[in-house]
Amino acid sequence: MQSEQTVAPRSGAQIVMEALALHGVDIIFGYPGGVVLPLYDEMTRWPAIQHVLVRHEQCAAHMADGYARSTAKVGVCLATSGPGATNLVTGIATAIMDSIPMVAITGQVNSWAVGTDAFQETDIQGITIPITKHNYLVMDVDDLPHALVEAFHLANTGRKGPVLVDIPKDVFTAMSSVPFPTEIVRRGYRASAATNDTAVEAAAKLVAEAKKPVIIAGAGVVWSETNQALAELAEKADLPIINSLLGLGSIDRQNERSLGMMGMHGEAVGTLAVQEADLLIGIGIRFDDRLTGKVAGFAPNAKIIHFDLDPSEFAKVVETTLCVPGDLSETLPAFTAAVQPKVNEEWWAKLRGWQQEFPLVVPDSTGLMARHVLQMLDRTTNSDAIISTDVGQHQMWTAQLYRFKRPFQWLSSGGLGTMGFGFPAAMGAAFANPKQEVWAVVGDGGFQMTLQELQTAVEHKLNVKICLVNNGYLGMVRQWQELFFENRYSHVEMGSPDFGKLAEAYGVTFFRCSTREDLENTFEQARAADGPVLVEFLVEMEENVFPMVPAGKANDQVQMDPGLPKDKAPMGIPA
Amino acid sequence: MRHTQEHTVTALVHNEHGTLNRMISLFRRRGFSLSSLAVGDCEEPGLSRMSIVVNADDNMLRQCVMQLEKAVDVVSVESLDGKEYVHRELAFIQVEAPPEKRSEIIDISRVLNCEIVHLGLKTMTVQVVANARKIQGLIRLLEPYGIKKIVRSGTVAMSAEE
Repeated sequence: MQSEQTVAPRSGAQIVMEALALHGVDIIFGYPGGVVLPLYDEMTRWPAIQHVLVRHEQCAAHMADGYARSTAKVGVCLATSGPGATNLVTGIATAIMDSIPMVAITGQVNSWAVGTDAFQETDIQGITIPITKHNYLVMDVDDLPHALVEAFHLANTGRKGPVLVDIPKDVFTAMSSVPFPTEIVRRGYRASAATNDTAVEAAAKLVAEAKKPVIIAGAGVVWSETNQALAELAEKADLPIINSLLGLGSIDRQNERSLGMMGMHGEAVGTLAVQEADLLIGIGIRFDDRLTGKVAGFAPNAKIIHFDLDPSEFAKVVETTLCVPGDLSETLPAFTAAVQPKVNEEWWAKLRGWQQEFPLVVPDSTGLMARHVLQMLDRTTNSDAIISTDVGQHQMWTAQLYRFKRPFQWLSSGGLGTMGFGFPAAMGAAFANPKQEVWAVVGDGGFQMTLQELQTAVEHKLNVKICLVNNGYLGMVRQWQELFFENRYSHVEMGSPDFGKLAEAYGVTFFRCSTREDLENTFEQARAADGPVLVEFLVEMEENVFPMVPAGKANDQVQMDPGLPKDKAPMGIPA
Repeated sequence: MRHTQEHTVTALVHNEHGTLNRMISLFRRRGFSLSSLAVGDCEEPGLSRMSIVVNADDNMLRQCVMQLEKAVDVVSVESLDGKEYVHRELAFIQVEAPPEKRSEIIDISRVLNCEIVHLGLKTMTVQVVANARKIQGLIRLLEPYGIKKIVRSGTVAMSAEE
């Protein structure tokens, strides 16, 4: 495959920068160190490729991730060998779990020293095997052009994912005349399973027969950018659309057929609908355990159709009636064309009834609650901002209350559940989308894991706003201890510094709000401010997320919000 | 209790840095129980063919095949279940063989089509090329003489075609 042609010899470091330019990369997130010195030297000759100096490599990976989630382009991060490389690991693992396109470049000790336990040597290829789509240790500079082009190809095709390229120091300085391949033909690599017209037609037939159909749309719809086809499908066959956590944005939340998120903390209507449905159409989802609950009790009355480009997801978790393989950009429009128009009037009457009976509860209390904050965030930004979150209660409340409009607007670590992700991911999105409003919603726990990046944000006058929901606890863990460990709180009280002083030390604009009266005004001030803004909301300490399906229980064990009127707050689903 | 049994699968893989590590990692991480793995060069330079014997129920086997197919290292996967295929494993069995026992061991080896590949002052090494069951049988027959060492190659398999 390697052509006979050669180009003028150039160094490995130059090859890396050329490869970035070739793939349209305009920004990389990284941290220098011994073995990547030749690359950092070469970088000075490439002003068109911005390098963002982070304060911890984990955040370089999260920023690349946030960049990717908000643009659908490949995010690139860079670290030196040893600890630099291992610091990327959490960020890479976060990306693989959510199928995020990312190329991670790491320096390695000199090729002749590999395997000798040299200073700052670590086997990052071995370490990242289970958390990358593919990875490389490039020992010969002549292999570098192909490895880099293939890395971008693999990261950004089919089911996307992170790819790591480990490059020894002497490979950066060695010269090569090998050109970049003009195309990648990797035998056996199937970006997507072949589509199957028969399956699409069979799926359409099941829709025609169904009386209580539901769609669960996931991140596959987002990444294949088939949200339009999904909306058309829902309209044509009058289908309700439920989202998985990462499927939010695949349908406008204010579309009349959107029922919001389902799962452990999904809206009651979605959970009830799936329990009663006679047909469940999973589109670009992987039936994660936080969605299905105990699998034996999931969608007990439904035939299940599963659309996905990755056939290894079929029957991995739930038994399906029908699998529809193929890229959604092909199968979803074909499915939409194949279904017959229909109206599911009775079913919708039931769904609307559940919506009215078991709405999300935002209490009308005098004290400031996290839900007040997140509902106001949605209203004040007109549901239009790019929203990133950490992991925990604030993440679930944001997923419930923010009415996402479009794909690539919602950045959250769904699979790995990485605390500390929210702020750096929002920064990656802010670098990529300087004209859009970008908010990181974080808790006091997760924010303290990666807040050192405030300095990075200040240096770049980055328009990123942080909605810090401070309840003085690791709220979700506390909630579980309250509900399942008889209120024995074990190491969940979270002390924090004076965030006002911290913001001042960093030179970040700061607001604090502790009352409902000040809420709207605080948001307006924060929105009007330029550059990084930290807004601390001091909220009630022991607020719980509902509905909730306890871990390991079937979805019919959903616990409704005790804040519902007493006669409407049963434990479990009404008969 | 899931009903598991052994299934034989072959995989044609790119022979690159880390390939074997990635394949083993896949089996370990997904909890597929590997009974045997044999890897070597094949008819095409740059590729290797793996013979894999996995202990699994039907669903795990299907997952295993699909996860293998998804791996970027893998060119193709063939599940040999229900197909006609040939399969053999090679083993050396080193057994204590004082002069007075040699002829008995040679007799056993001859009956089972095995070869004596080394004869020492106190030991003999028997080579057997057979399926796993037959190798197990030979080991049982040689146990009374005192087995010192066993080494097995793992099963290699190939679908039979016309």
